[in-house]
Amino acid sequence: MSEQAAVGKLVAAQADQSGGVLFKLVITALALGIVPLSSYYLSRDYLWNGNTIYAAFTAVFSANVVLVLYILEAAREESRLRASEKQQQPENKKDR
Amino acid sequence: MSVCPPYAPFFGFGGVASAMIFSTVGAAYGTSKSGIGIAGLGTFKPELIMKSLIPVVMSGIIAVYGLVVSVLIAGGLRPLDYSLYAGFIHLGAGLACGFTGLAAGYAIGYVGDSCVRAYVFESKVFVTMVLILIFGEVLGLYGLIVALIMNSRASEAARCP
Repeated sequence: MSEQAAVGKLVAAQADQSGGVLFKLVITALALGIVPLSSYYLSRDYLWNGNTIYAAFTAVFSANVVLVLYILEAAREESRLRASEKQQQPENKKDR
Repeated sequence: MSVCPPYAPFFGFGGVASAMIFSTVGAAYGTSKSGIGIAGLGTFKPELIMKSLIPVVMSGIIAVYGLVVSVLIAGGLRPLDYSLYAGFIHLGAGLACGFTGLAAGYAIGYVGDSCVRAYVFESKVFVTMVLILIFGEVLGLYGLIVALIMNSRASEAARCP
């Protein structure tokens, strides 16, 4: 009975996690589309006084910022998952 | 031979199209090839999926490079007063960004596939994978820089008579 409960909890946790992954991926895809274009036009008009080269570099920089944020989020999620696994392991030993 | 023939915008629009088309082909190849490896990893260790999606995000950035260059070149096109010199410059800029994006996407695809499969067994492969992917993405960045430099020369074209 306790084994079934543990399996059920694991499946539910994985479902939560996969939903979270999909949400983060959708946010990243939208950000990769919206952020560079908007930063190109906004920086060209308001920051660099019409200089298109600096505006293009700003767009490239902002796209790479989105990438770095995604990598950091992925690393943070894995460390969070490892911490929760360590918390669950003492519980399993108690059930035995 | 006139300096501003009426078919000059053909080359300009060819540059816009080729920047978007070829960089997207590269990004699609990178996404699909690394997606095969991610699907394989997902059956063994689903908790590693978010970290293994990094090649897919990097392929998306290659497509963004093509998009930025297309927008940049399209902003400099004009119906009249457009010389053949500017048309060739725009075509060259678009091709430079497009084909380097194709190369970068190709590299990201192969590296992403193999490294993601290796990540199932050895977790230290992750840092190596990110480093190699960054070097692959920088190829597309070089093409974008050359396209920017070429495009900046188009504004010094002579006025049409």
